Amino acid sequence: MAIYTVGRRRVILVLLLTSALLLTLDLRGNAVLDRGRDAFSFVMGPVEDAAEVVTGPVERLWSAYNDYPDVKEENEILRARLAEIEGTQAAAQASVIDFNALLSLQDLPSLEDIPTEVAEVVGRSSNNLDQLVEINKGSLDGIRVGMAVVNEAGLIGRITATNLSSSQVMLVTDSRYSVAVEVLAGIGDIEDVTTDTTPSGLTPDEADDLSSPPDDVPEATSPLDVLAEGDFPLPDSDDGLEDDTGEAADDASGDESDLPPSTTTTTTTLPPAIPADGSPVQTAASADGDDDAPADEDEADLPEVAKEFGLLEGAGRGRLPKVAFVQDNPALTTLQIGDLVQTAGIDTSLAPAGIPVGRVINRADRPGVAGPLIEVELLADLDQLVFVRVVQFQPPPELGQ
Amino acid sequence: MLAAFLQSSLVRLIPVGMVVLAIQRTIVVDLPVADVIIQFVLAFVATAGAVGGSERGAIAGFVLGLMVDLVGGTPIGSTAIAFTVAGAVAGLLALLVADPQWWLVAAFTGIGAAVGEAMLPVVRLFVGQENPWPPEMLKIVVVVAVAAMVLSPLLAPIARWSLRLRRAEWDASRAEETVT
Repeated sequence: MAIYTVGRRRVILVLLLTSALLLTLDLRGNAVLDRGRDAFSFVMGPVEDAAEVVTGPVERLWSAYNDYPDVKEENEILRARLAEIEGTQAAAQASVIDFNALLSLQDLPSLEDIPTEVAEVVGRSSNNLDQLVEINKGSLDGIRVGMAVVNEAGLIGRITATNLSSSQVMLVTDSRYSVAVEVLAGIGDIEDVTTDTTPSGLTPDEADDLSSPPDDVPEATSPLDVLAEGDFPLPDSDDGLEDDTGEAADDASGDESDLPPSTTTTTTTLPPAIPADGSPVQTAASADGDDDAPADEDEADLPEVAKEFGLLEGAGRGRLPKVAFVQDNPALTTLQIGDLVQTAGIDTSLAPAGIPVGRVINRADRPGVAGPLIEVELLADLDQLVFVRVVQFQPPPELGQ
Repeated sequence: MLAAFLQSSLVRLIPVGMVVLAIQRTIVVDLPVADVIIQFVLAFVATAGAVGGSERGAIAGFVLGLMVDLVGGTPIGSTAIAFTVAGAVAGLLALLVADPQWWLVAAFTGIGAAVGEAMLPVVRLFVGQENPWPPEMLKIVVVVAVAAMVLSPLLAPIARWSLRLRRAEWDASRAEETVT
């Protein structure tokens, strides 16, 4: 039988104190510990690869057995959703390109100017507290701590640590995450209004001719696909993940005649006026279904979109992120469920402006001057991350250092 | 010094810990139970404590906790503290019973794992993280503890080998012979 002695207690105390010392050193920033992380990650790489090979079949077998009913049901829902989205995609694409053209005319910065790096999610936090994922691009690929990470749907998180060939992404839901956001107030109340839209200003007849999209229609339209790369599809798992930003960006800046899918007459549900990228562009949408009416006649029907700025903070595992410090001014507009939330891109923000984050799903009014507390349902599904984009943006203050 | 290292349990504990950690980060993380990620490394640490005593359990917890921190991006030392406590608690409980049956080892492992899992947000709180408690903390602790209990019989022989436990140290009849 083991005996509890002073010597044993001393060992435990020494270990606890050593842990506390290491913790203090690491929190204050220590180059030796950082190099230790890199070295250990390097050593663990082959071990994890081997474990992946050995356990992969078991995992896939279990997933196939366990997930099949859900996958089947999800597939049916997604098919219906896809049909719905295909209609609004064209409108969104045209609006985004118009928006970028306007920005460039005014010499304003846009996401189009920011390069991105595609990466694959190769791991996630192995504990139940942190909301972290690991991607397979690191400092050798130009990834820096603080860069925003997005996927097709919107903001995912930011880089919090980089190794040579991998990086760690803190998800928006992590309780340590915060980012400046703006709430596009005044669009949440108009959902469920069905309307016919003719994006790109084409007549219905012209739109009918173009209702069948040509073969070269881009398959993926994510916020940054549209804004930065135009027809840049996310790569398959084996095709190298090269970033061909330049060429695609040229495509995106082409004139309207180059836009294959953007002219389909669609019956859609508002708010399509705010495209998938979240850019605050109002498309000419007729609430009464009169497609022949000129766009300026419909302006009275368009919602008044006002921006309210706040700070979005993650609330931890299983909780919705919250936006605080919102100055809700009823004289201008009222924040409500359905309003779009996107990054504000203020001077010191690590994320550029205009990345969609989510929609307001709940609002709690607080007494005093604290303003309302808003819960946000994220656009991105953080449980299904495969490929992501790292937005290689650094705020001006950081670039100046 | 090198000879001392080679004769210590670390020479086995480190590679075994790496394999255990790799399993945690590859298959276990993708197969949650009731939406909770089972803590395979923590189960190993608690089992090491239950079969090897509080000192060895604490050492195993410290070493494997450091590994988790190094590769997982958590503040170095935060997981090590929690795992050290888990190993020590499981080992202290094992002092209550001479030559515990396998199910007692499993029970001690479960309790040690529960304490370790509960310690993680406590350490984060001391580090300064706001609101580190997940909403389903109780469920997480229970699932992690039960999973550790279930895994304990599987992990016990590996832990004994890793800690260089001689048979006399964990077999009652032989232990009595050694004492006499």
